[in-house]
Amino acid sequence: MRVLIQLRPSPDVVAAVAAPDLTATTADVTDGLPGVALDHSFTPVALPRARPASAGGDPLSLHQPLVFSLAPEEASVLVRGEIADDESSARMALLPGRGRDVVGVYADPLIETSLTCGGSPPVGTWQDVARLLRVPELHAEGYDGAGVALAVCDTGVNAAHVRDHLGKDVTVDRGRSWNPSGVTGEPGGFAVDHGTMCAFDTLIAAPRATLVDVPILLSRRQGGTVMDGLLSDAVAAFAHLRAVLDAQPADSRALVVSNSWGSFSPLWDLPPGQPGNYSDNAAHPFNIIVGSLEQAGADILFAAGNCGTECKDRRCAYPGRPIVGANSHPQVLSVGGVDTNGERVGYSSQGPGRLSDRKPDVCAYTHFAGSKAFGDDVPDSGTSAACPVAAGLVAAIRTRWPASRISPSQLRTLLHRTAEDRSTVGFDYDYGYGVADAAALVAALRRRAERHRL
Amino acid sequence: MGRMVLVTVELPPAEATLEGAMRRLGLSEEEVDTAYGLVPLDPGQGLYAVRVTEQAGHRVTPPGEGPFADPPIEPYGPPQ
Repeated sequence: MRVLIQLRPSPDVVAAVAAPDLTATTADVTDGLPGVALDHSFTPVALPRARPASAGGDPLSLHQPLVFSLAPEEASVLVRGEIADDESSARMALLPGRGRDVVGVYADPLIETSLTCGGSPPVGTWQDVARLLRVPELHAEGYDGAGVALAVCDTGVNAAHVRDHLGKDVTVDRGRSWNPSGVTGEPGGFAVDHGTMCAFDTLIAAPRATLVDVPILLSRRQGGTVMDGLLSDAVAAFAHLRAVLDAQPADSRALVVSNSWGSFSPLWDLPPGQPGNYSDNAAHPFNIIVGSLEQAGADILFAAGNCGTECKDRRCAYPGRPIVGANSHPQVLSVGGVDTNGERVGYSSQGPGRLSDRKPDVCAYTHFAGSKAFGDDVPDSGTSAACPVAAGLVAAIRTRWPASRISPSQLRTLLHRTAEDRSTVGFDYDYGYGVADAAALVAALRRRAERHRL
Repeated sequence: MGRMVLVTVELPPAEATLEGAMRRLGLSEEEVDTAYGLVPLDPGQGLYAVRVTEQAGHRVTPPGEGPFADPPIEPYGPPQ
């Protein structure tokens, strides 16, 4: 968390900060504060003392005439720093009591003129995403997805559309693809829709991956409502994917599962605390099978959701903590969204997650001109696009690092560790551990390979 | 068939069929989504899921567990 810290150093230091012809530094003002990473690039600012203009005025009210004093014995100084998100409450409470220097600690929120939101035009193109993901360098080292099964659990894939817009052949594994009961249609032959966008985005980093088409969102199972699918179809799909994984040779298992869907509303769920609840309950059958599939060696990625505070999707109905159920599962990679400038898109859901506090895990690129699945001028957007972009990166890595060499859990940790830190020091609820950094990830794997050779 | 829910049941390998699960849980064919079938959740633990009517779900007793919600799921995009 970014903070502003109000200090009252000695009058000569205050005078130096206030003097227009001098430039005092943060180091001149304080030699450090426990738990605070001071921003030494920030020039300290003298803050005048405000007092009621008339005797007997309320010292806390702004609704009266005030006089301001920059006199060294009265003024204070502001410096800037960061506190780790998970320590912010305790630190902010304890710092003012630490010594006479610290007057107060205040939030320093990000101010922006225009966050990327749902209706914003595309920010960059999929080629920019490829450049940011260092795709040429990845491919030069053999990280291209060859031999890796990449399941897209969505509305079905139109392989011809993906091929035409990506300019590359697309492989769909018909044998390992799977339809929910009652869904007709051939793998790779579904109408162009959300799933086609997701498939396109997975192939930016991993064009040689083999797509496994799993159109769970097309289900209209009896007993549901007018929605796009039911969680029970996802349970059945993951059981199928477990069979796919078990059929792979143990020493070369590589299955990446991309999920750009979730539950927007608690309306059809049972309330948290009830044994049958999904959103907050690790014992729900879907959350169990997610853990089981990951344990067997699959990399499972979920979109964090589009319920970010700045411009949330109108369907968002959870009153808070919108990363729910499997999207917040500790054994999945929850993916938030940034635009190609590296700024978090305003709709990307913020943590903490419901099953696991530290969500999202990382961010990946979204809101770029890509598949044109929704029209020529419509970007690939939502954390729906960020998730398959990250899944493609994971699939590229799996080309040379199957689950027998680095487990899904180890790979997630490496993604955390190598992510490009954003916003605050370490983990934060906006960006997670930061933006997935392909170059840093590959460098870390190179070091790991060298260590294992020794 | 009205609103449906999920229930889970542990089954030994020899009884790991939909019929075996229905027998264990005391369910009739009318109460079960037979097209959904018996879905393995954790093969190592012998844990399975069955989709049943809400009423039948509330009747389930150990070794069954539930009922668990079967909420709708939607794509996360494009943002609306």
